[in-house]
Amino acid sequence: MIKLVQNEMMKLIAKKRLLVIAAIIAVLVALFTYAQYKQVETQRHKLGTNDWRTILQQQIIDTQNRLSSSRISDDWKKQLKVGLQQQQYYLDHNINPSEPGAPTFMRMFLENSIDLFLPLMVMVIASDLVSSEHSLGSIKLLLTRPVRRWKVLLSKYITLCLSISLIVAITGIISYLISGMVFGYKGWGAPVLTGFNVTNQGLGTESVKLLDQWQFLLMDFGLVWFVAIVVGTLSFMLSVLIRSTAAGMGVMLAALISGAILSNMVSSWNSAKYLFMVNLRLTDYMKGTAPPIEGMTLSFSLAVLLVWWAAALAVAFWVFTKRDVY
Amino acid sequence: MNKNILRVITIIAAIFFVLWLGGLGWAMADYYGGKPNPITASKAPEKAKENGKELRVVAIGDSLTRGTGDESGKGYVGDVIDELKTKTKKPVKLLNLGVNGQRSDQLRTQLGQKEVQRQIQRANIVLMTIGGNDLFRGGQGLADYQSDKLQIIEKSYLQNLTAILKQIRTSNPDARVFFVGLYNPFMNLNEGKNISKVIRRINYESAEVSASFPKVVFVPTFDLFELKVNDYLYSDKFHPNTKGHRLIAERVASLITW
Repeated sequence: MIKLVQNEMMKLIAKKRLLVIAAIIAVLVALFTYAQYKQVETQRHKLGTNDWRTILQQQIIDTQNRLSSSRISDDWKKQLKVGLQQQQYYLDHNINPSEPGAPTFMRMFLENSIDLFLPLMVMVIASDLVSSEHSLGSIKLLLTRPVRRWKVLLSKYITLCLSISLIVAITGIISYLISGMVFGYKGWGAPVLTGFNVTNQGLGTESVKLLDQWQFLLMDFGLVWFVAIVVGTLSFMLSVLIRSTAAGMGVMLAALISGAILSNMVSSWNSAKYLFMVNLRLTDYMKGTAPPIEGMTLSFSLAVLLVWWAAALAVAFWVFTKRDVY
Repeated sequence: MNKNILRVITIIAAIFFVLWLGGLGWAMADYYGGKPNPITASKAPEKAKENGKELRVVAIGDSLTRGTGDESGKGYVGDVIDELKTKTKKPVKLLNLGVNGQRSDQLRTQLGQKEVQRQIQRANIVLMTIGGNDLFRGGQGLADYQSDKLQIIEKSYLQNLTAILKQIRTSNPDARVFFVGLYNPFMNLNEGKNISKVIRRINYESAEVSASFPKVVFVPTFDLFELKVNDYLYSDKFHPNTKGHRLIAERVASLITW
């Protein structure tokens, strides 16, 4: 088994996909770092101060004024309100919600890339893991060996999980290194609040916890990794089902993008919460923002994703072991 | 391909696999099992240092402070700041805390916030507009200007005003406070005369309250709008337009000295 995994790892590394992914991440992180830097600069210029409290106070007032407008929808209003209460809570407790530094940038980057960008990167590897063997014709060579088929597939799956872990790690390391050049490398111990309850009435703060940023980051990484594994498994299944890599990627891409769009407009379509793609933003639960559909919680989203994951894995193995290869 | 490199990469990947899995487990354990730890690290914001290098202006109040009606969006506050910049060489820093539709009780609550107090404490000049929404409830007019309800509104408004000014003076005994009074946007309506009467009374009472605090200046605006109210009103016939804001700003700016 270890030999099989080693063999798959070798194929993967020979394809240099990981390097491509690292390069893409590096470019994007550089872009975002610059954008973030520019934003901070304009803010400082506008308010004429570096003081985060003043800036946060001004943001709170701006949100209050947006809320007083009658032209915004109820959903949006609710989200704004939750955000507002959270900002006020940070301010009241004298905690900077975005302590400048590379760890904070990393946290923001992770939170924003969890539902689209990282899954895309994972797809780059997962979607042709099996189907490329078909298109290259090497599948026959692989299956004529005296190894059970499920073992072949399992070795591929383990390779996938390992490389996903690597991608998540690469994301973290690259975003830390690049953004640190601008924002500085400090900030692991900065306080972060978690445990806000988002209810209909607004934001519950009775079970709020104070964490160090590194603790919060490790949890974020765990959640991001879980999402990446689920998405990776789904495209892995498609790669088994559909011989054409492009078609498999297309399907997955459509699902992911529809998820990003749906999250903004499904609040009235309740059963949409069973779709995997609206459940991807797990880190939002840690942060305490209003979920896209009422009644969604961390355990609910984890359960939904887990079911999709198990189903995809079962289908992949079942089809791969039963299918005629010619 | 070097076998060793391959092995190292695989091992590193496996380590991260375990690490992320641990992170996931921790996230779940913490989300559900973690005890809330009351925030104790809430150190009070450090006392602001008095610094004479810049002129700090804090504006509080309602939509008038926010600049509603002014096409440039600056409002009378922005105009005052522009004026100040021509008068002084010091950098002028503005923090506008005005909220549309804010009533006196809401402003009172807002001033209870630590950070707002800290900002007031650092201010050299405080600009304030309040009361319009207590009285007109967002431009609906003064429906019952002779009923008992008005008395109740007036009474609670004056109480709130006293509390607001007291709070400002507690946070900052030195800053000059300019309290911009009410005008009558309904001058030309049938009941304009009666409404004017109420507003004059409230302005008088506001001025009395202001006078009981040191360095609080009540700035009347009633007369500015008295003769040609429609020339100075925005299309909602309630907020001042660009010209109206300018009028108020000129008056306030001429009062500011240091």
